[in-house]
Amino acid sequence: MTNNKVTRHTRAVRLTHWTVAISGFVLLFSGFGTMPLYARFNINKIPGLSWSGDFLIEQGLHYCAAIIFTAAVFFHLVFHLRRREFAALPKKGDVKESLEIVKAMVTGSPEPPSGKFLAEQRLAYAAIGATSLVLIATGLINLDPAFIQTVTLTHTVATMLFLVLFLLHVGAFLIKANRPLLPSMVTGRVRRNYAEHRHTEWEI
Amino acid sequence: MKFSRRTFLAGMGAATAAAVLPKSRAQAAADSSDTYATLIDLSRCDGCSALNTPLCVAACRTKNASRFPEPDPAMLKDYWPKNFHEDWSTRREITYELTPYNWLFVENVYLDIDGKEEQVNIPRRCMHCDNPPCVKLCPFGTAKKDKNGPVYIDPVACFGGAKCRAVCPWNVPQRQAGVGVYTYLDPVPVGGGVMYKCDLCRDLLAEGGIPACMSACPKQAMTIGKKPDIQRHAEELAASYSGYVYGKTEHGGTGTLYVSKIPFEKIDAALMDGINDSKKVMRFHKPDNVMQKHSALVKTALFAPVAGVIGAFAATVSKREDSNDQQ
Ligand code: HEM
Ligand code: SF4
Ligand code: SF4
Repeated sequence: MTNNKVTRHTRAVRLTHWTVAISGFVLLFSGFGTMPLYARFNINKIPGLSWSGDFLIEQGLHYCAAIIFTAAVFFHLVFHLRRREFAALPKKGDVKESLEIVKAMVTGSPEPPSGKFLAEQRLAYAAIGATSLVLIATGLINLDPAFIQTVTLTHTVATMLFLVLFLLHVGAFLIKANRPLLPSMVTGRVRRNYAEHRHTEWEI
Repeated sequence: MKFSRRTFLAGMGAATAAAVLPKSRAQAAADSSDTYATLIDLSRCDGCSALNTPLCVAACRTKNASRFPEPDPAMLKDYWPKNFHEDWSTRREITYELTPYNWLFVENVYLDIDGKEEQVNIPRRCMHCDNPPCVKLCPFGTAKKDKNGPVYIDPVACFGGAKCRAVCPWNVPQRQAGVGVYTYLDPVPVGGGVMYKCDLCRDLLAEGGIPACMSACPKQAMTIGKKPDIQRHAEELAASYSGYVYGKTEHGGTGTLYVSKIPFEKIDAALMDGINDSKKVMRFHKPDNVMQKHSALVKTALFAPVAGVIGAFAATVSKREDSNDQQ
């Protein structure tokens, strides 16, 4: 480990992140594919995507990605539970603190001191995590017809939420202040001076 | 022939003729373990050949007329980016296929049986499947199945995306543009109307009655009863004229049993004769149920949480991973 870099994400964490991200993307794509949106919007006319209008292919894809996504999410939960790593969970006052961070990003004033995760990162984590759990639960349940309505509708509504959060998450890297974090999801490390500046309370 | 509608009703605990069925039948509907099934005896149906419109079809149209869609003319426009929309409101009179204004039709097919031509008439409508993909896959939960069998679509919350039709092996639900929740989202190009189909006259069933098409039939070609009774009667009937049953196992089982003297493969072949788009015909094939297509994947998915947990335990026993990441 070089001195001007600090480890932020271990290999297991990075692997889980990309497994969830890729399978999550496939779930979004194939979920909409089963609706069936692509035949309607001529996506299946795009060269190479002619399969996208096929219900059975989309359904098979959705189920395969669901297996990977679900396993990865459960891996993540138990992995960090066993290691007693709870830094990403929201704390009291995170809403107020996130607003201050956003304000700081806009006005350029200094951000409030942070630990390993910023308040807004903790909130984002909780939101996308909860949405994912709802999607897993409603996806796995194949209840009798009396309940199925609520289940499928919840799955659809949670999908819309997931889509918004997914886009916000990716969109966050358009903001310059967040960009030093990008390489860390590939290499696992961030620049030491970034960490010391932004995550003053992080015991590196 | 020992078989008659009366036998069914006796089996259901009501010995009165169908048309004047007493309210006591409502008990059957209230008991959730009692699923309805219907039997259509093709040896009885003559397609009302003397009439322009078969009586069952006419009865269905009259009974459901107040529920037919009245589209907003301003919304009768193409589904962007497609250059079509499904508007049947100017063709309400059509009785020879399923439309939003016609939930039952009679197929007429001519077959060559031992050298002589025979006409077969087949009342067709929703099969009210046991494991209906239209219900299980509706993203908005508006296609529903009652505990006692009828499958129906709630027009209030239907977007008209037509997923139900895409997954129905008989293309039963039919779309009318210009009605439903999607009109409120205009000009956002989502949805396309509301889907319509037979609901087995669930309102009449709840009152202890029988479907309008059945009471209208002068030949008593259609009967309704509890599933085990109907299944038994269908088999007895088929045995009585060495015939065949369709709908018992097809598509994972349906609530509609057709009984015919002629094998259904033959009927299907005759229906498909000269047709190049199989979606245009309501077939007698052996379709797979899309709910079963990926059953191995579904079973695997149920174990995914376990796999994840086992993986996490495996990953956390290793001390090495632990020590190189302190936060
Ligand atoms: C990121 C996560 C997910 C997204 C964005 C997503 C999205 C969607 C969408 C848009 C649909 C179609 C609309 C609907 O029926 O509600 C759908 C259907 C469905 N999803 Fe998901 N989903 C996700 C995760 C899962 C998971 C984890 C499972 C199972 C373990 C699952 C199982 C299903 C099932 C069974 C359906 C019904 C449609 C079919 O069988 O083809 N989904 N999903
Ligand atoms: S026949 Fe089609 S519309 Fe009717 S219950 Fe079966 S799948 Fe649904
Ligand atoms: S059961 Fe009712 S809705 Fe269905 S075809 Fe018969 S009359 Fe029409």
